[in-house]
Amino acid sequence: MQASCAQPRMGVYVCHCGLNIAGVVDVEAVRDSARALEGVVVARDNKYTCSEVGQKTIADDIRDLGLDRVVIASCSPRLHEKTFRGVLEKCGMNPFLLEMANIREQCSWVHSGDSAAATEKAKALVRSAVARARLLSPLSRSEGRVVPKVMVVGGGVAGISAALYLGNMGIKTYLVEREPSIGGHMAMLDKTFPTLDCSLCILSPKMVEVAENENIQVLSYSEVEKVEGQVGDFRVQVRRRARYVDEAKCVGCGDCAAKCPVRVPDEFNRNMGERKAIYIPFPQAIPPAYAIDAEHCRYLTQGKCRVCEKVCERGAVVFDQTDRVETVEVGAIVVATGFRPYDASKKPQYGYGRYPNVITSLDFERIICADGPTHGKLKRPGDQATPGRIAFIQCVGSRDEHGHDGAGAYCSRVCCMITAKQAFMVKEKHPDSEVYVYYTDMRTAGKGFEEFYQRGRGEGIVFVRGKPGEVREEEGGSLRITSEDADSGCILDLSFDMVVLAVGLTPPEGLVDLAQRLNLSRSADGFLMEGHPKLRPFETSIDGIYLAGCVQFPKDIPDSVAQAGGAAAVAAATCSRQKIEMDPLGPVIDEDLCIGCRLCEMLCPYGAIKVEKTDRGYKARSIEVACKGCGVCGASCSARAITMKHYSNDQIVAQTRALLEVS
Amino acid sequence: MADLAVGGRVAGQGQGQSEEGFEPEVVGFLCNWCSYAGADLAGTSRLAYPTNLRVIRVMCSGRVDPEIMLEPFLDGADGVMVLGCHPGDCHYLSGNYQAEQRVRTIWMVLDHLGIDRERLYLDWVSAAEGARFADMVSEFVARVRTLGPAGGGPASREGLSRGEFAFRAEVARRVAGGERFRWLVGRNKALSEEGNVYGEKVSPHKAAALMQSVIADECVRAAIEVLAGEAPVSVRDIASRLGISAQLVLEQAAYLKRRGLIELYDVSGRSPRYVRAGARA
Ligand SMILES: Cc1cc2nc3c(=O)[nH]c(=O)nc-3n(C[C@H](O)[C@H](O)[C@H](O)COP(=O)(O)OP(=O)(O)OC[C@H]3O[C@@H](n4cnc5c(N)ncnc54)[C@H](O)[C@@H]3O)c2cc1C
Ligand code: SF4
Ligand code: SF4
Repeated sequence: MQASCAQPRMGVYVCHCGLNIAGVVDVEAVRDSARALEGVVVARDNKYTCSEVGQKTIADDIRDLGLDRVVIASCSPRLHEKTFRGVLEKCGMNPFLLEMANIREQCSWVHSGDSAAATEKAKALVRSAVARARLLSPLSRSEGRVVPKVMVVGGGVAGISAALYLGNMGIKTYLVEREPSIGGHMAMLDKTFPTLDCSLCILSPKMVEVAENENIQVLSYSEVEKVEGQVGDFRVQVRRRARYVDEAKCVGCGDCAAKCPVRVPDEFNRNMGERKAIYIPFPQAIPPAYAIDAEHCRYLTQGKCRVCEKVCERGAVVFDQTDRVETVEVGAIVVATGFRPYDASKKPQYGYGRYPNVITSLDFERIICADGPTHGKLKRPGDQATPGRIAFIQCVGSRDEHGHDGAGAYCSRVCCMITAKQAFMVKEKHPDSEVYVYYTDMRTAGKGFEEFYQRGRGEGIVFVRGKPGEVREEEGGSLRITSEDADSGCILDLSFDMVVLAVGLTPPEGLVDLAQRLNLSRSADGFLMEGHPKLRPFETSIDGIYLAGCVQFPKDIPDSVAQAGGAAAVAAATCSRQKIEMDPLGPVIDEDLCIGCRLCEMLCPYGAIKVEKTDRGYKARSIEVACKGCGVCGASCSARAITMKHYSNDQIVAQTRALLEVS
Repeated sequence: MADLAVGGRVAGQGQGQSEEGFEPEVVGFLCNWCSYAGADLAGTSRLAYPTNLRVIRVMCSGRVDPEIMLEPFLDGADGVMVLGCHPGDCHYLSGNYQAEQRVRTIWMVLDHLGIDRERLYLDWVSAAEGARFADMVSEFVARVRTLGPAGGGPASREGLSRGEFAFRAEVARRVAGGERFRWLVGRNKALSEEGNVYGEKVSPHKAAALMQSVIADECVRAAIEVLAGEAPVSVRDIASRLGISAQLVLEQAAYLKRRGLIELYDVSGRSPRYVRAGARA
């Protein structure tokens, strides 16, 4: 702590950030007021402090003027604290002798209407930062180990791609999937825009590759239950649900299902067909093993049956399996749990769930798919008749300003293209059919998207600008829509055989819990929040946890795969590090004051402080590797025996006083 | 300080109409992960709010020591905001619950001392709630405006003079630094959920009553310590200053003396005078 003995030598740098700060705050005045503060040996203003020139100015001053504290007044420390700590480190200074004053996000950008007051506030913030800097102590980072393995949570196309990128780099990867098979929503699609490739034909080979890659272990029918640790060293508890079928023995012959007496609506086919209680979601499933749905199995619910066990020649059915919790150690986690289609029954005006011939876009994918419940014949669910007149309604559950009924205020991005694709497929199968699309705006930004949409228009699909207020059922199951066409100003009153609701993409089921377990923030739309909306799109606020696919925000398959590649790259970079340096923000316990009351031990959320018997009685001890530096112990200690490194009471009090000093 | 022993608000105080040109000074303690990020988002979205707020960044709202919550009032602040992550979203799992426990008990202390509890504000802001943050700041600043300056005499809600407000704030801060008080704050939630060392669960009502009585004791003790801090002061003078019986002052003074915090100075006109321990030398 030698640095705090003598009067510190401080340098203050006030950033213009172009006009972002200087356009509102009188930067020169702030600089001058800083210059007058005790211990400040130099105060400068820079156009861009974070630029190379700006950084060099600081480095030169550290060398030439012997600075031992640096205060930077600029943007949020959440953005550039790392950058500037790096500058100090390069000059041989301890990186914790830096302090920042946020005069952009929390000053110039929010007070542009009052320059004078903003300038006074900026002065106060700098004064406060200088007061704190005066009391900073050099700290050394502790080191943590790196487990060179990754966990990918969610086995849709994003998770599959991330796992493959990682596995192919030679990194041991666990792919955790909640359902009995990986594949996600892409496995349910028929064809994919804009090129109309068959979805499973391109996905299935990747799924097989996952199964064959020796670095990838699929943990299907499993969920993340608890996460502990930090970047480089996470311990994840995974609940592996009992599937009652030995994955290693099952060859997927299906003899069991053929004999199983219980029929259950088939969720993979959107409940438009049936499956058995022992089932495989779809023929190409990975792992290619059956699973018993415990909720419906006759033996597991009523205690009698076990027919499947009898017919399975390989003895793969094991009724005495139970859920088990496995702990997996990894250095990084990629979250790729996708989305959930908007529940259209929450918009009763459209009659989904009441009128059999009103379906969603995802139902449509199953109906039109050769593997689906109608074997690819376009039939409407109500009476299996071929619909000649079909209407699509856009933005169901999206772009809903008020977010009623669980709808998003955001545009789900993919639904316009989904409808363009589906309308095109109807025309392709039945050129005589009449297809209407009720839309708000057609959004076709993407490679080849506009061209594809124009092709659809050429096929005679009618696009009506308008959002129908309701769908009414008429005799014979046909559906009436009355809506304005905003382009022509006419009221259209039309009858259809089937209506397809282009449902939005909403956050996946269980995301609130998962986010809590991983300590991740969600954005206002409910999806997981990225580290920075522009610069860190696949990182999160937690080091070592990354995002891929729709769990961050709705996107199409190519974008999901691209993000998976990015997430895999950063996860691999984390795993390639020799060690992780951790910020030393933990407690220092004064044993003379500690009375061994155990309050800290009881309140620490991480078990990182423990009271032990010493020859001076019971005293608290900090367990550095487990400590995350929250400061709960310090703020609670009944004897005020704890000082938090880097956020001590003295520092905070000095900041407070400086803030409230009259300038 | 007529209300020190009984709690409640002093009668016949100011109307709280705001002083001409009064600009509240507000200090905010924001946690790094949610509320500070929310404040940054307000900036990125260019949402204007009053310049009165000055922010101190801490890692977690659970880092905000009860003493730290009160410190700004000693330095001239008119309002304090403590903002954390939403319940269940704390970056450190449960720090925000601790912050809530502390603020709730500090409110009781403020009530007891006749300082308006609305000057200390607690709320949750997520990293996505830039607009909510901006609104919250505007509303709080407006609220503090109606409370008037801390220690603004008749122009403030409490009707306390600058000196009296500072005295009471200092008493509150000392209470917040006291061992018994801190232990209770830390255990409060657990006491009603897990029970005490004998496994007896304490009803929230009972826990509050216990806290109330501890606060009453601690306030008197802290007040004696503050008053005896500068020069010797007689029990009679303390009693009349605090508006409580000399007997109560004597009891608490005896306790402080046993703990070696104050010492007997002399006896003046049948009333003992006490002074801070070590002050004589
Ligand atoms: C009707 C419809 C048609 C579409 N058509 C096209 C198209 O033609 N072209 C195109 O590019 N895009 C299309 N899309 C978009 C495409 O489906 C998505 O871009 C893609 O599926 C996103 O993949 P994902 O891996 O992010 O999410 P998902 O496919 O949703 O995969 C997420 C996976 O995570 C699992 N999971 C969820 N929660 C958990 C948990 N807690 N623990 C473990 N596992 C969990 C799920 O079971 C699932 O397997 C369409 C979407 C819809 C709704
Ligand atoms: S809370 Fe403070 S006094 Fe009690 S055991 Fe922990 S460090 Fe010691
Ligand atoms: S700082 Fe937080 S994590 Fe570290 S020992 Fe204290 S309470 Fe535990």
